[in-house]
Amino acid sequence: MAGNLSSLVIDTLCDEPCEEEIAIAMFYCDFRDKEEQTTINVMGAILKQLLVRGEVLEHVQKAFQKAKKEVGGRGLRLPDMVQMLKQAVATLPKVFICIDALDECLPKHLLELLGSIKDILGESPRMRVFVTGRPQVEAEIIRVFTTCVTIPISPKAHDIKRYLEKKLEMDTEQYAMSDRLRADILRVIPERISEMCVGVSIVPGSYMILY
Amino acid sequence: MDPTAYPDSISFGNSNANCSNVTNSHNKVINVNNFIADENPEIMKWLSPLDPGGRHQDVRTDRLDGVGNWLLETNEFQEWRRSEGGAGGPVLFCYGDPGVGKTYLR
Repeated sequence: MAGNLSSLVIDTLCDEPCEEEIAIAMFYCDFRDKEEQTTINVMGAILKQLLVRGEVLEHVQKAFQKAKKEVGGRGLRLPDMVQMLKQAVATLPKVFICIDALDECLPKHLLELLGSIKDILGESPRMRVFVTGRPQVEAEIIRVFTTCVTIPISPKAHDIKRYLEKKLEMDTEQYAMSDRLRADILRVIPERISEMCVGVSIVPGSYMILY
Repeated sequence: MDPTAYPDSISFGNSNANCSNVTNSHNKVINVNNFIADENPEIMKWLSPLDPGGRHQDVRTDRLDGVGNWLLETNEFQEWRRSEGGAGGPVLFCYGDPGVGKTYLR
């Protein structure tokens, strides 16, 4: 859901006609990359997507050239990265940042990442941030973003039915299916999931146990 | 909870595999194009070894039309989308357990 929701939101932002120019940056957290998903790397990945105007690119190019000349390497520090992002966002009309699956960050990176975003938001009133994650990161997010609006995601019968229909269409063992079984699947599973609501895991293919 | 317990619910793969960003031809979305990335490979690497964008393309390919649209219709989303420094705040957080969402929408 989270990934799907984020992609849906990004596409919606892209597709909705709007009066103003907008820039969109996204990041999908992945627990398999958790060690590499440091705050500075995630922020850098976001900044890469905001290099859309000459002045933004030029500023980053200058910082890069300066860093190259410095003794001891060219590593970026987080304050430098945050500063570059602030400048980029200030240069752009309206910026949307979407970060998916925040729970897939290591806890030590998560708080720092949230703090850095808050820092940028403090100087960028036109920036909007959309984040998704499992409930266990809600407390941290609300603590950092006190005015954060939260929406719980729970199974919607319509969405479950749509998903089941698609899975049934793609079933490679159609010989095992009958109209009655199909109707039962489409009736019973959405009902049960809606009743149970939280804590249910519908693993793709799990309806096969009904055969 | 160990996310690996839900291998089918999360298909992240090399999720941020390239720099192909959202592009759009009929409104005012401005986003970086591959030209900028290609012309500045050193800077791109310096900024971050993580490359955004590819995951988005993967997910949107698999996404089912109409699923999740309820979110877009909520007042919370509409206000977040439209407002500027308004009472709603700049951050919108959608949360859900594994299994109530990620899986069934895949």
